[in-house]
Amino acid sequence: MPPFRLQNTVDRLDKPSSYAMSKYKKQARRRHDDPRDQQPDRQPSPDLEDKLADATTLYVGNLSFYTTEEQIHELFSKCGEIKRLVMGLDRFNKTPCGFCFVEYYSHSDALDCLKYIGGTKLDERIIRTDLDEGFAEGRQYGRGKSGGQVRDEYREEFDPGRGGFGKRYQEEVGYAGEYGQGN
Amino acid sequence: MADFEDRRDYRGGGRGGPFNKRKRYREDDDRDHPSRNQRPRYSAPPPGTQLRKGLLEIGEDTLRMPHEVAIQLARLLVDNYDDEYVKDVFTITTMKLVVEQPVKIPFVAAVVLFAHMEKKEAAQDIVSTAAEWFDEYINKGQWRSAKLMLRFLACLSRLFEQDGVFPILDELFNRAVDLQTASPEDAVGLELVKIILLTIPYLLAYAEDTTLPEKAVALLEKTDIVASAAHPVEALVDPYPGTAEGAERPMVCASVISLLQRQLQEEAATGWALALLPRIFDPSLKSKIPNGDETNGNTNGDSNTKLTFPSIIVPSPINPGSKTLFPELFFSLFADQEIESVPPTSNIASTLLRDATVDTINLLDFNRIATAKVLNELDNFFAPNIFVKRSTTFDKLRDIPAGSTTWKPEDVTIDAVFSQIFALPAPEHRLVYYHSLITESCKISPGAIAPTLGRAIRFLFRGLDAMDAELGYRYMDWFAHHLSNFEFRWKWTEWIPDLVLPALDPKKSFIVGLLDKEIRLSFAKRIRETLPEPYFDLIPASKEKDIPDFKFADDATPFAEEGREIIYHLKKKASEEEIQKVIDTVHEKAAAQGLDAEEAQKRSTDIYVTSILSIGSKSLSHVLSTIDRCKERLLALGPQSEPSRRQIISSVFDFWSEHPGIAVNIVDKLLNYTIVTPMSVIEWTLKDNIDRGRALASPHYFELVSITMFKVTNRVHQLLQHRNNTTVPFEQRLQINDALPRERQGMRDLFAAIEDAVAGVAAGAQDEMIERFDGEDAESEYIKAWGARWARVWRRKAAVEEQIANEGLAIEMVEPAAVPLPMGEADEGLGEEMDQIE
Repeated sequence: MPPFRLQNTVDRLDKPSSYAMSKYKKQARRRHDDPRDQQPDRQPSPDLEDKLADATTLYVGNLSFYTTEEQIHELFSKCGEIKRLVMGLDRFNKTPCGFCFVEYYSHSDALDCLKYIGGTKLDERIIRTDLDEGFAEGRQYGRGKSGGQVRDEYREEFDPGRGGFGKRYQEEVGYAGEYGQGN
Repeated sequence: MADFEDRRDYRGGGRGGPFNKRKRYREDDDRDHPSRNQRPRYSAPPPGTQLRKGLLEIGEDTLRMPHEVAIQLARLLVDNYDDEYVKDVFTITTMKLVVEQPVKIPFVAAVVLFAHMEKKEAAQDIVSTAAEWFDEYINKGQWRSAKLMLRFLACLSRLFEQDGVFPILDELFNRAVDLQTASPEDAVGLELVKIILLTIPYLLAYAEDTTLPEKAVALLEKTDIVASAAHPVEALVDPYPGTAEGAERPMVCASVISLLQRQLQEEAATGWALALLPRIFDPSLKSKIPNGDETNGNTNGDSNTKLTFPSIIVPSPINPGSKTLFPELFFSLFADQEIESVPPTSNIASTLLRDATVDTINLLDFNRIATAKVLNELDNFFAPNIFVKRSTTFDKLRDIPAGSTTWKPEDVTIDAVFSQIFALPAPEHRLVYYHSLITESCKISPGAIAPTLGRAIRFLFRGLDAMDAELGYRYMDWFAHHLSNFEFRWKWTEWIPDLVLPALDPKKSFIVGLLDKEIRLSFAKRIRETLPEPYFDLIPASKEKDIPDFKFADDATPFAEEGREIIYHLKKKASEEEIQKVIDTVHEKAAAQGLDAEEAQKRSTDIYVTSILSIGSKSLSHVLSTIDRCKERLLALGPQSEPSRRQIISSVFDFWSEHPGIAVNIVDKLLNYTIVTPMSVIEWTLKDNIDRGRALASPHYFELVSITMFKVTNRVHQLLQHRNNTTVPFEQRLQINDALPRERQGMRDLFAAIEDAVAGVAAGAQDEMIERFDGEDAESEYIKAWGARWARVWRRKAAVEEQIANEGLAIEMVEPAAVPLPMGEADEGLGEEMDQIE
């Protein structure tokens, strides 16, 4: 039996989310199945937790499309000075599409943000924060078919802060489809 | 774990909709989980797991008596003591609980006491480990952890042959005396006395030794001199320094150790009832231990066999620890008021509860949701009937017959959180942690917490005149952030009568600043919607304009033409020569108008900076990228002329006059670029724009000076840290050491500049003021009070920084031995081993 380990008496909020972990595991499994990766002398790819051990960037999700940089700055600077703020944009319209990357100067500021800001409200919406490997050009754009985030494609609930109904959903159900016609 | 960050929204028919590709069909389940419908019948988890879970949840189960839980856990331990894993689980979980969730200490101690009755060895082992950990903490100067481990040992007092922990208290006292004799400003000695005084009640509540009360009284006689003397630094950390002469202070704020001293003397006089502490262990319950198997030989313990207390040496001199300590005052919004909703400060329960609650809050900052849960259940961890039932309304307390308790658990916990938000010079964690903890508490129990918060908010608002200015700012910042989490709902009608107060009144200044902070987190139109009509004047329509006008678009503005040319060139990314040409024209025209060269330079600076701001008005990143593009010219301005440098700040505040928060942010970035200097910001605020002292009532100016000074002091902190970081190459450390005096002098000059400006205002010495007012004028009184408020804040900060720097520089720089230790072993002691247990 492995030795007993107990980091803390309650869970920590400053860890990568289960979403990030599962995404990472999926990638790792894919690598594992890849024959190129079967060479015995190949170094195992670093553990996600190691990769994020010095992370200073956070992914911030569930923002309203109307939330401004200034608002984000106002809240997130409560956890330390912000080095860079990159708004997530619709790939086609270049308008905010409900997420952003916040980069701090230090790792501990980013962790503080996970602990104290993730799951609280900004612009009256509960926002989500996740530790991120770091921003790279291109990642500021939505990866959904219609240009925004994937989660906004099929949403069946009306969310006025995120463009109403999901875009695919609107098209397929025909909800308010006439708005797209222009006459 | 709470699933607050779940990405998918399960509300409504989110799953299984016609377009949800994630839909799972029954077939999928069968394929993926063939055993799903044939789950094996429930079998109890292994003993290690049961023990861990049981310990972590100790005290939380209200359906079973605490002693039943303790007995069951003791049995699990004793029955499986030959299993190393189980032993480890017990030791590590217990130790971790002691130093992370202090409210559970008496509960885990009870488990040890019950286990001891059956297996002396089990108790001896945990005592030895606790002594080792204590030893480590005390050697490292980790005072809070040392205090908690000592408390755990004190709760086990009845196990020990002779004196147990008492000799340690004596030793700690000797060290405190040494420290106090060495320096009257010493705070570490006070911390030691605090630890002694906070251990005594646990010792007396849980020991059997009948000679203890006498010894405790003797020790209290000794601590009296240290505990009762007023510390010279106390005045600096007073949250209510501005109380007018003769007026009643909003709260007394006695020093924590002086309170403890008096409370313990009171307890001694009344026979150490210590009614607050839960008494879980009772040897007569031994017969009730459900003994699974009498014949398994586990009953080799003997309840009368005492343990030897491990030898612990308190080092001399002691390690003061890495944290700069300050005397602590007892901050309470609710204590000693007409209705006793929290223990009065004459009762030892007030300090014991506060200590356990604040430690829990500060130790569990990594999970505010779990912390809020512990706070919500605080009454579970103390003796029954100490509190009224949770959620009892404040008004109901009046109807409770005399002699019964009227303490509200919600008031005790919220009071404790506020004591941290209002801690001077600074709380342990970022303020936003305490904000978020209050938010979580409201989410768990809105009906119970909201009214308590309401009383806290009103209490603080009433006392704003006397409150320290930094705390007034923290109050505003917290309240705006809090409201942003709860639809900005507040009984705004209550403060309508205060709206007619002059702008210089602290209450009015608070309301104006609060609304601005709300707008910064939201937007003007939304905030107006949440307010009653009398507030509308404070949010004029101009606040709704996101992008300010470019003033040079108006021909009435001097140099309008040149302004438009500059912005055109900047937008076009024209060459520097072309821009210089326009600037030269401005200078020529200015000269022709009879303006001197300095004034001309200021005009061209205004045009240039305003154009940058206008181009960047869309968002912070826009303005930053524009500044970045223009930074050469901006950087060149300062060295040419200081007035031009300050003109940059003026242009920023003029352009963003309706959104001064944005202006503050931009100046913050300009400081990073060194386009403006800290001194130019201080002088711009407190000389150029002091407006006879009125500026001091503006929260934006307080914010501007605060962020500027934070940058400066933070830099000194970082240098000190590097200087004393043994992993940094020695050469580099020496260089930093050489640079420190200069940095420190720069910091001192800034503090002196602030002092100069605000002390003058406080004394009413501003020339223009004397001309305008003759003595009793109300406005001049307001202004002098603001001057005094600022002076206290910045004098405190200067004193704190001096202390931090002195402590940091007092650490000797020793060149490491020539032969370096193998990587990772250089400065790792037992502590790291302890961390590795994690």
